[in-house]
Amino acid sequence: MERKRTDEFEPGPVPPARPVDRFGFVKQEENNPSQGSIKSRFVNEQEREERRIRKWRKMIGVGGSDWKHYVRRKPHVVLRRIRKGIPDCLRGLVWQLISGSRDLLLMNPGVYEQLVIYETSASELDIIRDISRTFPSHVFFQQRHGPGQRSLYNVLKAYSVYDRDVGYVQGMGFLAGLLLLYMSEEDAFWLLVALLKGAVHAPMEGLYLVGLPLVQQYLFQFEQLVREHLPKLGEHFTQEMINPSMYASQWFITVFSYSFPFHLALRIWDVFLYEGVIIVFQVGLALLKYCHDDLIKLPFEKLIHALRNFPEDAMNPDVLLPMAHSIKVSKLLEELKQEYKKKNEKPIQRAESSASKVTQKQLSARSPAFEESTQPAERSWKQTRLLSRNSRKSRSGRC
Amino acid sequence: MARTGNRNIQAKLVLLGDMGTGKTSLVLRFVKGQFFDYQESTIGAAFFTQILSLNEATVKFDIWDTAGQERYHSLAPMYYRGAAAAVIVYDITSMDSFGRAKKWVEELQRQGNPNMVMVLVGNKADLEATRKVVTEEGEQYAKENGMFFMESSAKTAQNVNEIFYEIAKRLAKASPSRPTGMKLHNGTQEGGRRLFCCSG
Ligand SMILES: Nc1nc2c(ncn2[C@@H]2O[C@H](COP(=O)(O)OP(=O)(O)OP(=O)(O)O)[C@@H](O)[C@H]2O)c(=O)[nH]1
Ligand SMILES: [Mg+2]
Repeated sequence: MERKRTDEFEPGPVPPARPVDRFGFVKQEENNPSQGSIKSRFVNEQEREERRIRKWRKMIGVGGSDWKHYVRRKPHVVLRRIRKGIPDCLRGLVWQLISGSRDLLLMNPGVYEQLVIYETSASELDIIRDISRTFPSHVFFQQRHGPGQRSLYNVLKAYSVYDRDVGYVQGMGFLAGLLLLYMSEEDAFWLLVALLKGAVHAPMEGLYLVGLPLVQQYLFQFEQLVREHLPKLGEHFTQEMINPSMYASQWFITVFSYSFPFHLALRIWDVFLYEGVIIVFQVGLALLKYCHDDLIKLPFEKLIHALRNFPEDAMNPDVLLPMAHSIKVSKLLEELKQEYKKKNEKPIQRAESSASKVTQKQLSARSPAFEESTQPAERSWKQTRLLSRNSRKSRSGRC
Repeated sequence: MARTGNRNIQAKLVLLGDMGTGKTSLVLRFVKGQFFDYQESTIGAAFFTQILSLNEATVKFDIWDTAGQERYHSLAPMYYRGAAAAVIVYDITSMDSFGRAKKWVEELQRQGNPNMVMVLVGNKADLEATRKVVTEEGEQYAKENGMFFMESSAKTAQNVNEIFYEIAKRLAKASPSRPTGMKLHNGTQEGGRRLFCCSG
């Protein structure tokens, strides 16, 4: 079998250079039509982008210093700009600011190194088995035991130690992978913590705990929302015996980072980190709404296929996201949550003990090992530098 | 499409087995003739269809490929409930995956449709050098449990079509020849659709 630590491995050969898209994914044979139109509008687009970046830079301040102040003063401006998409070169930084992960990182110096270097986890083998199967078509993750795969392994292993109840669950790799394309390992780790433990929004860990309690709850809520907002389609689903688990479970488990076009996933993540899981429901509904008239005619097999392969034009973020925002769900979502909880009093207790916000105390209580090593050893500092050498730059933005 | 005088059988088939044993690879090999060295992990489940024509019938498979990790167990019942056939896959280079396969067999015997055609598949047969589960062990276990057994390789395509042909044959044999338009639903709410539906 495979050995345990990735750092025992020599990196595999660098895969031959192949054409990649602007996010680093190896291109499929057929040319992506949206890619073509991007080129033709290139110059215009570039100027607009530069103006946008300048605005964003002002809003953020140096290294994020003005961010909180700005959010407090002009929340509606922030919301509007985030919904339009965070400039790609500032994404990593802004994601850390809006998710609350930056604060966690600052409150817990040295903790990540500790988790990566000194702790072992029961999930290590599972993680290794999945490493080369996470974004296999992205150049950063393609090289066997290369820097991408190593950081992915480290982040997932660290998380599996940090929260042993969750450990490693298939799907988390796509979250971590997406984050690692925009930030260092340590930053990605804390963002994962912020999400799963609920630094700003409701904790997501219930998506991954035994029994997948939060997946079950979200699917219940989603099914009811479809009935409410798209009653004809809801009825058609019932007749064809389509259960939302058949198409929507991975939407929730990976927040659209799995098998959706990457440029769309990023735009969804911009909003997701700021507004929470509500956007996953809204985007799901918007996809169904956009394709409503086609879907409603399809029989079971074709329906399933269509629900897993939305047409290109449906996945244009500038169409899909405005549509998503226009669907009002928050009130019903809350009611449905209560209804679901009442129905399933016991099984979901842990998942939604929504007060489980993270604090410094909680963090160190989890792993007694940290208390002993308050002054990070020089050795570990060096090793950490090695581990995340490829991504420090993202801290201060990339443009 | 169907040959003269043939029956059309529509059958729901589910693949179960530990993560990374090659469920998705087997289906992709069967449905599209493709294989990828780094196949993305399946999150939730994936759906495929494929049609096989035999002399005696044309079988249309609705294939549910499930996520292998133990944690996803709670999602599996809706995919195997009402299935006409189940392919339980282990990796011949991993004893753990064989143990997990046995657990699936037991679960299906308890919960599944009693007439289900069950197949035990030892995949990655091309990795002879690192084999941990000897052929006889798989064979023996399958025999004891009244299952059909095969070792396969999604990578080399060895025995992949054979697995599905054998299932199709057994389904054709088991499915009663009924008059045109006959449909058999087993009526379970989730996933229980279209166990067979036959039209002449
Ligand atoms: N050598 C060899 N490798 C295989 C074979 N079948 C699958 N693989 C590889 O094993 C890995 C896992 O295969 P998958 O088909 O994704 O496994 P799965 O059972 O669908 O796994 P999950 O989706 O995680 O449940 C992939 O990297 C495949 O390339 C085989 O017959 N021989
Ligand atoms: Mg799979």
